Amino acid sequence: MTMSSILSASTLRLVVACLLALIASAASAHGVAEGDQGHVQEVTGVQFVPFVYLGAKHMVTGYDHLLFLFGVIFFLYKMKHIGIYVTLFAIGHSTTMMLGVLTGVAVNAYVIDAIIGLSVVYKALDNLGAFRRWFGVQPNTKAATLIFGMFHGFGLATKIQEFEISRDGLLANLIAFNIGVEIGQLLALSAILIMMGFWRRTPSFARHAYAANVLLMAAGLTLVDYQLVGLAVA
Amino acid sequence: MYNSQMPHIDELPTPAQLIRSTLIAAVSAAALLVTVVLPSEYAIDPTGIGRVLGLTPMGEIKVQLSAEAKADVVTRTAPTLQPTVAASPATPAAVAAPALPSEAGIGRSDVMQVELAPGEAAEIKVTAAEGARIEFDWSVSGGRVNYDTHGDGKTGAPRSFYHGYGKGKDVAGDRGTLVAAFDGSHGWFWRNRSGATVTVTLRAKGGYTAIKRVA
Repeated sequence: MTMSSILSASTLRLVVACLLALIASAASAHGVAEGDQGHVQEVTGVQFVPFVYLGAKHMVTGYDHLLFLFGVIFFLYKMKHIGIYVTLFAIGHSTTMMLGVLTGVAVNAYVIDAIIGLSVVYKALDNLGAFRRWFGVQPNTKAATLIFGMFHGFGLATKIQEFEISRDGLLANLIAFNIGVEIGQLLALSAILIMMGFWRRTPSFARHAYAANVLLMAAGLTLVDYQLVGLAVA
Repeated sequence: MYNSQMPHIDELPTPAQLIRSTLIAAVSAAALLVTVVLPSEYAIDPTGIGRVLGLTPMGEIKVQLSAEAKADVVTRTAPTLQPTVAASPATPAAVAAPALPSEAGIGRSDVMQVELAPGEAAEIKVTAAEGARIEFDWSVSGGRVNYDTHGDGKTGAPRSFYHGYGKGKDVAGDRGTLVAAFDGSHGWFWRNRSGATVTVTLRAKGGYTAIKRVA
């Protein structure tokens, strides 16, 4: 057996394991879905560009991811730094997204979305200098971006599993979705950076930066509460 | 600032750069809207790029599902409009063979056939009481279909009530025994997502009182 055939055999086993998990989760689904989920349930095989689109759409319309990204780049203005942090976030969420779907690990959607809300709160507090004030240390901002990125990735994985994606062409569609997520992130980031660019040049930026991060924290806490209530009533 | 240094004004993008970036962003957004978003969401594809990228079929499926969901609400709120096989010549060929004499004194058996053009869907339901056993065996000639075996119309349950018995995609047939989970309608929904017209033949046998094509 050649190296490549061993590799493909183990890949196949991984895919089969995740399919079983997907089939199991499909049993609890509701009636005919509409929109993106309806489309995913109707199609089979490799649908590369549509899945790139779905990934990008999920990112651009996902306020939780956008709020976190906004917090991360709030005080970053050099392209080099922005590049590093955004790459860390991308590595974090790509890893857990692929792993989550391929191993069939489904974290409770409310719990994972509450943690994502918490990542927004954390970043707002970090921007406010709260950790240095309270504990006397500045936690590593790069590590936090990577680790919270991983939680965002589990959220994405949970979302894809809810879609009841077809077993046929799964791996290619997953990769396409991931590429879409990165494209969506770049699009959203461009818009955020342009707005921040205008704002940073005005004296009001320094005056309102504190209030803006308090608002960001409020938005994050709202997400946490919303998801926890969802968990309680579901 | 609080966890980083405030930038010097010279380090920030100039107003001219920012205006240029905004214009580029606005033009890109308009281009993406026309070539990607509209085809993907509404199957509106003035440039034809959406079809080349393979996005327009996704939009077409979404538009179709949405239209069917709306039609479904209308049908369910006005039960008299529900077409039966005999009363609706507009529905494509759905032929019910006469019920054969039952073997054990209860139940009946039927063979029904539906023809599905690409993108078309059909549903055949039986009326059965809780616990009734219905043996079924359906097969597709000319291609493969997506299916959803389920029950609805439970007395006293909300309109949206749905009970799933199983579903699958891109298959050539399915057989088994459906045990009615409640008094109501139980049956098979098929959708042809292939490029050619197919014919689904259903053979059903068991303790049900009526069988008809409902959609």
